[in-house]
Parts: sequence; structure tokens; C-alpha cells
Amino acid sequence: MTDATEPHRTEAAEYVLGLLEGEAKAGAERRLVSDSGFAREVERWRARFAEFDDSTAPHAAGEELWNRIEASTAAPPPAQPSRWAKLWNDLPVMRTAAIGSTFAALLLAVGLGAAIRQARLQPVMVAVLVDGDRAGAVVHAFADGRAILLPLTSMNVPSGRALQVWTLPSRERGPVSVGLMDRARTLELQLKDLPRPGPDQLFEITLEPAGGSPTGRPTGPILFKGNTAQTL
Amino acid sequence: MNDSGPDRAIEAQLAAAIARCAAGERSAMRVIYDIEAPRMVGVARRMLRRQDLAEEAVQDTFMRLWRAARSFDPARGGARTWLYAILRNSTISILRDESRFVSDPEIGEVAAPATENALARLPESSALRRCLEQLDAERRAVVILAYVHGLSHGELAGRLGVPLGTAKSWMRRSLISLRECMG
Repeated sequence: MTDATEPHRTEAAEYVLGLLEGEAKAGAERRLVSDSGFAREVERWRARFAEFDDSTAPHAAGEELWNRIEASTAAPPPAQPSRWAKLWNDLPVMRTAAIGSTFAALLLAVGLGAAIRQARLQPVMVAVLVDGDRAGAVVHAFADGRAILLPLTSMNVPSGRALQVWTLPSRERGPVSVGLMDRARTLELQLKDLPRPGPDQLFEITLEPAGGSPTGRPTGPILFKGNTAQTL
Repeated sequence: MNDSGPDRAIEAQLAAAIARCAAGERSAMRVIYDIEAPRMVGVARRMLRRQDLAEEAVQDTFMRLWRAARSFDPARGGARTWLYAILRNSTISILRDESRFVSDPEIGEVAAPATENALARLPESSALRRCLEQLDAERRAVVILAYVHGLSHGELAGRLGVPLGTAKSWMRRSLISLRECMG
């Protein structure tokens, strides 16, 4: 609860300015959660600089932009998965509930694999991968280091091609392949050799030759992409 | 953001709307949109300089807001500050995404007047303005270019024609002075 020291005060300001990258940024994000003195300093810097935002001239923000926002937030907020999780953990409820086919399908979509049950269905990071305002898939990263990709729509995969999933653990390292599939399906992502996904980490799906990109880097068009956000 | 009446009323409206978003009420998003979207587009445009990218940043901000509304904690900071922190993250993500952002030679030419312009737009009574004005022009410029236009350390170094380490050290010293002055 001590006040931030001078280097940390500067770090807080650099974080607010968006000057930290890679590990420095991830470190600041961790401190923001774990160190209340640092969090207060970040908040103070945000308030100090807010006058620049307040004095900026507004621009048109019409119905078209609103319609896109409305479409892109049509999915329920992340309150929902945790409610399923509670239900799933509550076996008596599960035994007595007359599960309709829709709900059962929903549970299946969330994934009933051992990986997910072990992680207690409680993602710590969620990324919605989108193409414009169309949501294509969700990535759920769990506290135990596992992550799954859940498609939300069918994806057109021509023969001889495959869908490859990538993430960007850091700018220095560049994109890393974390999964390959011949069609859109629920997929456990291979994150074992990578740092735990942090907030605002990019995930994307590209169309690649069957067997995966020959270069180890994305070569085909990006179908869907999105960044992780921390859940409660 | 000061403590005057209308600002406090807006702050309260935003905090209430975020709480309603956390409860899954989508109509609350429209309340936030009506209050803040034009200013948000303006702020994003300042950094991205293109209307389409600015709108993308605002759309992304609302998506993140909708997903993260439950994590908003009024004890830790203001609703409006929170909203603009999300906007800043979204905007900087787009800005730093080199695959899409084509470096614009124009920024070098517009930057010098733009920094003074951003300073001049601050109210006379602004502590930020008073404290920035106490810095040397170049030390002031690094802070304004980073906040108002979203320049990275590397871009600042290029803009000012100094090594990266020098740009970083100028930035740190400016921030220390600024903090001492603003308290």
C-alpha cells in the first residue's frame, strides 16, 4: 500500500502514454492488478492528462457507427460463461435440470472436454475474433494455462487449405502458430511453450495451405482477429 | 476533468450506465454513446488521423466496455477516465499495428504546430498547461506528441532527430518535472 517510488511513477506515466511495449507493458499490467500504489499513480496520470481529451474537438459519430457497435456487441457479455460454470459445478442442479436441446448444445459448444472441466470453465482471458463487425470465434484462456478456440460461425475452407490460429505473445517474437484445423471446430490451442496470454494479446485465424504455413509465419489472408480482455 | 456541476452529473450518468452494462442492459451502451462518442471519435482521430480508423477504435472501445463493464470499480477511479483509458488502449493498438498503419510523412510537418495547438486548447486555468509551459519546448513536445498524437519512443526519436536513449531520457525527465509541478 506504499506510495509508488520515482521509477514506478515514471513507469505509470509511460504506461498511460502507451510507451511501454512487450514485457515492460505486461509487467505494468500485472502491477496494475497487484500493486494498489501503482494503480493509484496510473489513475492520477490519467486524470492529469485527461484535459487534453476534454479539450479535443468532437467529431461526427452517427447512426452508422452506432449500428456497427450494436451489431458487434450482440453476443452476451462475459457474465454468461461464469453462470454456466456455476451451473456446471453445481451437480444437483445439473441432475435435476431438464436440459433442453438448445442448452445442451450450448454446453457442447462451450466444450465438454477434460481440458475445460479441469480448468473449471472459468476463463481468465477472453478474445472475440472478428472480421469487421462479424464475430468468427472466441478464445478462452484458463488459469491453468490452457486455451481453447470456439468457432461462432462456419468458415469457408477451400480444398487444399487449412485454418491456422496464431497469437502474438510479443512484438519481438512475432506471430506464433498455436493451432491448425481443416475446418472450423472447437480446438485446444498449443500455448505450452509460450508465456501465459496477457491482456490485449492478439489472436488471429488465417487461411493457409493444408498442413500449415510453410514459412512458420502467417502467409494467407486474415479471416478473423481479436485481442484478449481480462475477465473477472 | 474538474469538479464543476455538469462534469459531475456526466460522471454520475456514465458510472450508472456502466453498471447497467455490467448487468447486461444494452440500452445503457446507447446512453454512453450519446454522451461521449463524438469526443471519443475526436480523440481517436487526433492519433489515427483517419475517420475510418477512429471509428474502428471507438467501436472496439464499446466492445471492450461491454465485455469488461463488470470489472469497472468506482473505488479505483472515475468512469470517464476508465472509458478514455479503454479508448486509448484501442487507439494505440491500431496505431502500433504496423501491418495496417502506413507511416505518414505528414506527421513530421504537422507535429510542431500541432503540439502548440494542443497546448493552446487547454483552458487558461489548466494546471497541465501551466506545468507544460514551464518545460523547454522540446521537452514539452515529447510529452504532447506521445499523449496527443500517440507517438512511440522510436517515433519521438525519429521526429526529434535524437538517439532512442536520449528520447527516453528526455521523456522521463519531462514526466518527473510534470509530476512535481502538478502534484
